Amino acid sequence: MSAMSPSERRLQKELMSLIKDPPPGVTVDAEQAEQNLLQWTIFMEGASGTLYEGERFQLQFKFSNKYPFDSPEVTFVGSNIPVHPHIYSNGHICLSILTDDWSPALSVQSVCLSIVSMLSSCKEKQRPHDNAFYVKTCSKNPKKTKWWYHDDSV
Amino acid sequence: MGDQAEGLTNNSSETNIESSGNQDELIMAQQRQIEKEISETIPLVGELEAITTLSSEYSTDEVYLSKIKDLVSKYSHIRRTRPDGNCFFRAFSYATLERLLGDKEEFIKFYKLAENSKSILVELGFQQFTVEDFYDTYMEVLKRLADIDNVEAAKKELHTIFNEQGYSDYMVVYLRLLTSAQLQKEQDFYSCFIEGNRTVADFCHQEVEPMYKDSDHIHIMAACSALNTGVRVSYMDRGTGTTVTQHDLPEGCIPTVHLLYRPTHYDILYV
Repeated sequence: MSAMSPSERRLQKELMSLIKDPPPGVTVDAEQAEQNLLQWTIFMEGASGTLYEGERFQLQFKFSNKYPFDSPEVTFVGSNIPVHPHIYSNGHICLSILTDDWSPALSVQSVCLSIVSMLSSCKEKQRPHDNAFYVKTCSKNPKKTKWWYHDDSV
Repeated sequence: MGDQAEGLTNNSSETNIESSGNQDELIMAQQRQIEKEISETIPLVGELEAITTLSSEYSTDEVYLSKIKDLVSKYSHIRRTRPDGNCFFRAFSYATLERLLGDKEEFIKFYKLAENSKSILVELGFQQFTVEDFYDTYMEVLKRLADIDNVEAAKKELHTIFNEQGYSDYMVVYLRLLTSAQLQKEQDFYSCFIEGNRTVADFCHQEVEPMYKDSDHIHIMAACSALNTGVRVSYMDRGTGTTVTQHDLPEGCIPTVHLLYRPTHYDILYV
């Protein structure tokens, strides 16, 4: 096998760990990720006892060759985008660890856990109040949005 | 997990519709341009320079010039670091290792401390394989340095390693993690230094572990205690007085590393 770059080596390790020991309700499309380590699809089930119980979501992770120094670009994709105050209808997620608070010590797994916990703690299904405006004007890449993070309990 | 700040809005909603949207992209493109210029002109860790070279930066500023005079009476050389938000961690790490290269016994002690650090991080809840990534590189660098007998050659190698972004940033991350671990281990003590109602863990996730976040007293105290060493920081700003203000961290220590602080930036000083 040809020499892997540090980011590929790290992603390979993460992929193995996610296949072997995924957080509850989370599965990675291993075949696709093995073909292209820089783009993964992850399936996420709404946890039981939450507003999203029985729903199934699809997340797309894109990595640059500066990963893990650069955060992954993470969006919900597919036909079912969770209705949540921090998730826009185009799949963009407002979560500080995806931009400002990203650390190379975090991982795909910790991002998944944060998203699961964000969904699980939701008390009322609704879109962000500026959804219509944001979706019309934002960049395709959510990392190009300068997010204002509100310390919300939602 | 799950304790990160999550947001409700993005700032494009504050601007009007005609100029909207790509405003964010413009601001970020400008930020990237500034970062690019800095990385092209300032090395991660520079060569030794006479301390008097500082004067040329402030040729007309009397306050700074008198403080530089004071600094010259205390230090002979300065080594500049790149102002990228990681400067404290990079400077501290470099200066600590540079000193240890001249002291075999101390180096071995430090090596053992570093060797045992991984299990401490994992016990605190850091994910094993992300920690391993940085720990392995950190230990690889220490081994590479330990294998060089000639002190001058080892120092040269240190300089090369710290100017290779790949290695240099790994060293920064690992020290950030050790600092975070130290803060969390002694959270009862450190919690009094954290403003607002953030927990020590929140503070670590937001201000210590992410790259490019500036360091304050609290980072320095925890980093010193993690590496079992002490720092003297000389503060130089436009405030009143004609001398630099010096602080030893932790208080009362015998400092082994000397740093110059000018608002938002740290460089290394040499006696």
